[in-house]
Amino acid sequence: MATTELLTGSEQPDAPRARRRSGGLSPLTRYLLVRLALVIPMVWILVTFVFFLMRVIGDPISAAQGGRLTPEQIDERKAAAGLDAPLIQQYWDYLTGILHGDFGTAMTDGRAISDVLIVNGAATLELAFWALLVAFSLGVPLGRLAARHRDTWPDATLRVFSILVYAAPVFFVGLLLKLAFVPLGLPVAGRASTSVELALQDVDPQTHIMIVDAILWGDPAYVWDVLKHAILPAIALGLLTGGIFLRLVRVNLIDTLRTDHVTATRARGIPERRVVKKHAYRNALVPVVTVMGLQVALLLGGAVLTETTFEWQGLGYTLADYLVKRDFIAVQGIVTVIAIIVAVASLLIDVIVAFVDPRVRF
Amino acid sequence: MISLLKSTRGLQRGMLVAGLILVSVFLILAVFAPWLAPYGFNETRVDGVPFGTQQPPSAEHWWGTTVGGQDVLSRVIYGARTAVAVIVLAVSFSLVIGVPLGLLSGFLSGPVDRALVLVMDALYAFPSLLLAIVVAIVVGGGSSGVVGGVLAAAIALTVVFIPQYFRVVRNATLAVKVEPYVDAARVVGTRTPRILFRHILANVRQSVPVIATLNASEAILTLAALGFLGFGIEPSSAAEWGYDLNKAMSDATNGIWWTGVFPGMAIVLMVMGVTLVGESLNDVLNPLLKARGGDTTTSDEEEISAEYAAAVAEAGLDSEVAEEAAAVDEDVRRVATLSLTDLAVTFRTGAAPVHAVKGVSFDVAPGEVVAVVGESGSGKSVTSRAVMGLLPATAVVSGSALLRAGSGGDSREMIGMSERKLRTVRGDQVSMIFQEPGTALDPVYTVGWQLVEMIRTHRDISKKEARARAVELLDLVGLPDPERRVDYYPHQLSGGQKQRVMIAMAIALEPDVIIADEPTTALDVTVQAAIIELLLDLRDRLGTAIVLITHNMGVVADVADRAVVMYRGEIVEQAPVDRLFAAPRHPYTRRLLDAVPHLGQGVGAPPVAEDAPAVLTMQGVTVEFAGRLGQPSFRAVDDVDLVVRRGEVLGLVGESGSGKSTLGRVAVGLQKATEGAVLIGDVDITSQSDRRLRSMRGRFGFVFQDPAASLNPHLTISECVAEPLKVQSDLSASDQRAKVAALLDRVQLPSSYAGRYPHELSGGQRQRVSLARALALDPDLLIADEPTSALDVSVQAKVLDLFSELQRDLQFACLFISHDLAVVDALANRVAVMRHGRIVEEGTRQEVLHAPREEYTRQLIAAVPVPDPAEQRRRRAARGALLTDVE
Repeated sequence: MATTELLTGSEQPDAPRARRRSGGLSPLTRYLLVRLALVIPMVWILVTFVFFLMRVIGDPISAAQGGRLTPEQIDERKAAAGLDAPLIQQYWDYLTGILHGDFGTAMTDGRAISDVLIVNGAATLELAFWALLVAFSLGVPLGRLAARHRDTWPDATLRVFSILVYAAPVFFVGLLLKLAFVPLGLPVAGRASTSVELALQDVDPQTHIMIVDAILWGDPAYVWDVLKHAILPAIALGLLTGGIFLRLVRVNLIDTLRTDHVTATRARGIPERRVVKKHAYRNALVPVVTVMGLQVALLLGGAVLTETTFEWQGLGYTLADYLVKRDFIAVQGIVTVIAIIVAVASLLIDVIVAFVDPRVRF
Repeated sequence: MISLLKSTRGLQRGMLVAGLILVSVFLILAVFAPWLAPYGFNETRVDGVPFGTQQPPSAEHWWGTTVGGQDVLSRVIYGARTAVAVIVLAVSFSLVIGVPLGLLSGFLSGPVDRALVLVMDALYAFPSLLLAIVVAIVVGGGSSGVVGGVLAAAIALTVVFIPQYFRVVRNATLAVKVEPYVDAARVVGTRTPRILFRHILANVRQSVPVIATLNASEAILTLAALGFLGFGIEPSSAAEWGYDLNKAMSDATNGIWWTGVFPGMAIVLMVMGVTLVGESLNDVLNPLLKARGGDTTTSDEEEISAEYAAAVAEAGLDSEVAEEAAAVDEDVRRVATLSLTDLAVTFRTGAAPVHAVKGVSFDVAPGEVVAVVGESGSGKSVTSRAVMGLLPATAVVSGSALLRAGSGGDSREMIGMSERKLRTVRGDQVSMIFQEPGTALDPVYTVGWQLVEMIRTHRDISKKEARARAVELLDLVGLPDPERRVDYYPHQLSGGQKQRVMIAMAIALEPDVIIADEPTTALDVTVQAAIIELLLDLRDRLGTAIVLITHNMGVVADVADRAVVMYRGEIVEQAPVDRLFAAPRHPYTRRLLDAVPHLGQGVGAPPVAEDAPAVLTMQGVTVEFAGRLGQPSFRAVDDVDLVVRRGEVLGLVGESGSGKSTLGRVAVGLQKATEGAVLIGDVDITSQSDRRLRSMRGRFGFVFQDPAASLNPHLTISECVAEPLKVQSDLSASDQRAKVAALLDRVQLPSSYAGRYPHELSGGQRQRVSLARALALDPDLLIADEPTSALDVSVQAKVLDLFSELQRDLQFACLFISHDLAVVDALANRVAVMRHGRIVEEGTRQEVLHAPREEYTRQLIAAVPVPDPAEQRRRRAARGALLTDVE
C-alpha cells in the first residue's frame, strides 16, 4: 500500500477494510446486529437470574399466603397456578410466556403485569422524562462551565456541588423539598389532585402519560395541576442524575480540549467558541452518551425511591408495594420488565452513539 | 496516609483533609457509640418516664425525639455503627470475590472470560438497588438479629458490587497483560501464578483502593435506600438512618423537621467524606494523571551535557559559532517572512520554573525551507507553538516573532498578540502541520467539512465555493478521487492520506509561512518520501516559507536550505545545510551528525560462514489472526523461511504492518504459528508443550521497543535482571546477585543502579537494563524488536555500539527487527526484507542494501533520505528516474 503511494501518489484503502466491503453488510448494519445479538443473551441471563432467585425464597403462594391458608388450600392454589410442575417446566413456561408478552398476573390484586407495565410504566416514563429534562439542563451547561474554567473557583464550587448532589439520597432531598415547599402550597404527593386524577384516569385514559392526557383533555387547569405535581419529584430525581451528567461532561470535555485535533483546529484560526461548541463538545459527547446509557439503570433505581417518596404510582412504587405484600409473581414480572427496559435502552444508546460517532457508522 | 497528603496540593489537599476528617468522625462515632450516645437507640423512656413522641429539640434531647419516641441523636450515633459494619463487610466480601475473578477472567480470556463478562455485564446493567432488594429478601428472610441483619445487608450489597470490581480488575488486567514487561516475563518462562501476582496484580492493585472507597460511599446510600424502603435491617435490632428517614417522611408534611434532617445529614456527610477521600485517591493514584517515567531523559542528558561542556571548553567555539550564525541571518533578515528574535519560553510549574526555550533567533525567507533540528527536550516544538500562541496558560513567552505579511512589508508582532488578532493570522498567514495526522483531524467531521470550515472562517465566500475550493485543494495535494474523498471521515483515510489532508488545510489560504512539526515522523519511509516531495513542490509553486521541525537528519539533508540546530532550548549553530553537513562547527552538531547512522556507509560485519550452526530455523511459518465477526481472518505472516546462524545478526526490515514483529514473537513462542515449523537448534518449538517449552526458554532473549513499558515499574532494576535467573537457574541468592552485578557492569551501568526503579532511569539506561535481562541466561538467540527506535539519535548510537560489542563477544545469533535501514546497515550480517507478511528479498547485507534485486527493496532504499545533502541530491535525481521507470 505504502509503495503505491510513492509511485502514484495514492493509497488504496487498507486490506481489511476492502474485505469488509465485499462482506455485503454495511459496517453500521453489522454494528447494530452485533449489539442486538449481545442484548438477547443479556436479557436471557437477567430473566433467568430473576426466576431462580425468586424460587430460592420458596414458592410464591406459600410466601404470600403462608399461615393464612391450610396446606391443602395452598397445594390447590399451587396446582392452579402451575407451580406444582417441575422447576424446569415452570422455567420453560415462564420464558415462552415472556416471548408472548405475558409476564404473569399478580396474586394479590389479579392485575396482569402487562397492564402494570402500560399504566404504571407510563407514570415512570413521565417521571424519567421530567427528571432527564432537569438533569440535562443542569448537568450539561454546568459541566461545560466547569471544564472551561478548570481549577478555578467556579470549577471547585461545581465539583463540591456534584459530590453533594451525589451524597444526598433522593428520599432525603425529597424530604427537604417537602419541608421547604409544603408551606408554599406545592403538592408533595401523587401525580395529580384526586379529582383531576379521577377525571383523567377513569373517564378517558388515552396514553396513561398524564401530561399528555391532560393536554388532550384540553383544560389548562388540569395541565397546570399535573405539572405542579411533577415539579418536586422531577427536581429530586433530576438533581441526582444531573450531578452525574455534570461530572461526565466536565471530565470528557477537559480530555477533549487537550487533544491534538483541538489544538490543530485552533492553529487554523477557528474562533475559540466554535472550537468548543463544534469540535470539543461533539467529541466529548461520544463517551458521555455511552455512560449515560448506563445511567438508565440508575434512573430506574432512583425512580423507585423517588416514586415512594412522592407516592408517584409508577413501576417502582408498584414494585415496592408488591414486595411489601410478598407477591413474588408480580415482583418477578415487574423485575423482568425492568430488565428488558434496561436492555432496550442500552441498545438505543448504541444507536445514538452510532449517529454521533462516524467511526462506528462507516 | 501522610505520603498521600504530601502528594496533594491546594484544592485537592483541602478536599482530602475534609474527607479524612469526616470519615474519622464517623469511625469514632461507630466505635464509641455506647459511650457517646446519651441513650440507647431503642430506648423510649428513662426511669419509667417516657421521652414523648416527636418532641422538638430540647436540653434532654438535643435533636428531639422520633415518632416512635426515641432520642434522635442516639439513633444517629448508633446508625453510624450499623453503616460502618455493613460497609466494611460488603467491601471486604466484594474485594475477596471480585478481584480474583476479574484477574483470572482477564488473564485467561477465552470462553470462561466471555461467559463471565456476559453475566457480570448483565448484573451491572441492572438497577443495583432492585438487585440489592431482591437479594436482601432472599438472604435476609426471617433473620432478625443484629448479626444476621447486618450480614444480610452486606451480602445484598456484595452481589451488587462484585460486577464493579470484576470489570475494573479485568480491564486493568487486560491492559497490563499486553505490556511488554509481561511478555518479557513470559519469554524467560515465568509461570502463570508468578506472572499473575508479581507482574499483573502489582500493577492492577493501584486501581483497587479508589474503587473500594467509591464503593463504600455507594454502599452507604444503598443501605439507606434498603432501610428506607423497609427491606433493610430489622428496626428493633439496629439503628439505621434510611429507616428513620422513612418514618420521618410523613412528619415533613406537618413541619416536623428534626426527625428527618439529622439522619439525612448524617448520610450526606458520611457519603461526602468517603467520596472526597476516594476522589483524591483517584487523582493521586490515577496513572493517566501521573507522568510516565519515560518522559525523563535526565541521566542521558547529563551524560551528554558533560561531554558537551568538555568539548565546548576544548574548542572554545561557542561565541564564534553564534557570531557566525548572526552573520548568516543578516542577508535573510531584510526579506524575511518570519523573524524570531530572542524568543524565550518559561513554564511555571509547582516547583522551579522550567526554561524550555532561551533566546532563540532565526529568520525564514519566502520560498525557503529552514529546518529546526534537535533531540527531544531541545525546545524545537515549544518554539513553534509559542509563535502560534498555542502554548498552555502556564507558559510565559518573551521576545519577538515578526511576521511580514505579503509584499507590502508591514510587520506584525505575533508574541503578545491578542487572541482575537491571532485567530486571523493562524491558518491564514501562518499555518501548521502536525506530527500525528491520525489525531490532528477531528474524527467526527468529514475532511471536506473541516476544510470548508477553515476557509469560511477566514474568507467571505459561499459554502458551495468553499467546497469547490476544498476539492481543488485535495486534488492539489494528490489525494486520488477528491470529489468522493471530500466526504470521507478521517478514519476512512490512510495515514499518508490524512497527512495530505493536513497539508491541504495548511495551504488552503496560501499562507506566508508553514510550520511543519515533524510532519513525517509517524509515517513509513515511502510515504515520508511522497509527503516531502509534495511539500517541496508546493513551496516551489506557492513560494511559501517553510519551518520544518524534525529530528531526522536525513530529512534535513533532503529538503532544507538552512538548518538551525537546537540543544536544551538554545540555538547552538545555524548554517546552510551543505556547510552544516560538510563542516559542522559546533561540537554538539558534530556529535549529532556522527551519531546518525548513514545508509550506504554500512560498517556492519561481513557474512558469517555458511556452515555455522543454525540457531533459529523457520520453515513455512504462517500466522493468521481470526477476523472479527463476519470478517475473514488476517494473514500477518505468510509462508516465511528463515535461518539465523550462530554469531550472525539477521536484520529484518519492513514498513509498518509488514508482519516483522509478529515473526519475532513467533520465534520465541510468544505467538503460536498457524502453520510451519520453528526450530531452535534442532527442536521444533511449535510442537512442544508449554512445560517443555519453558525449559528451553533460557535459550532466548528478547529486547522490546519501548524502554518505558518493557520493565515492570514495581520491580527494581536488579529484580528485573534477576527474574530470568530466578525462573530458570538454580543459582543461590548470592550467586544471583553476583551475576546481576556482572550483567549490569557488562551493559555499562553503575552498580549503584541495582536498587533503583525503572522510572528513575533514562530511556537509554532502561534499554541497557532490557539488554542485561535478555542476556542473563547467556542465550543462543536474541530477538531485538526495534530496540532503539524510541531513543534519541545520540543515545541510540551508544546503545547500538554496546549491542554490537556484546554480540561480537558473546556470539549469540540475533534477529534484529527494525524499520530503519541505516541502523540495519550498520549492524547486520544478513538482511531480509518483509512486505505484506512475506519475505520479498533476503541476502547478505551487501547484496540487499547495496545491490538489491527486487523492485520493492530498491524503492524502500531510494525512499530513505541520507544525512548528506550532496549525496541526497544525487539520490533524488536517481530516484526520480527509478520512479518514472516504474510508472
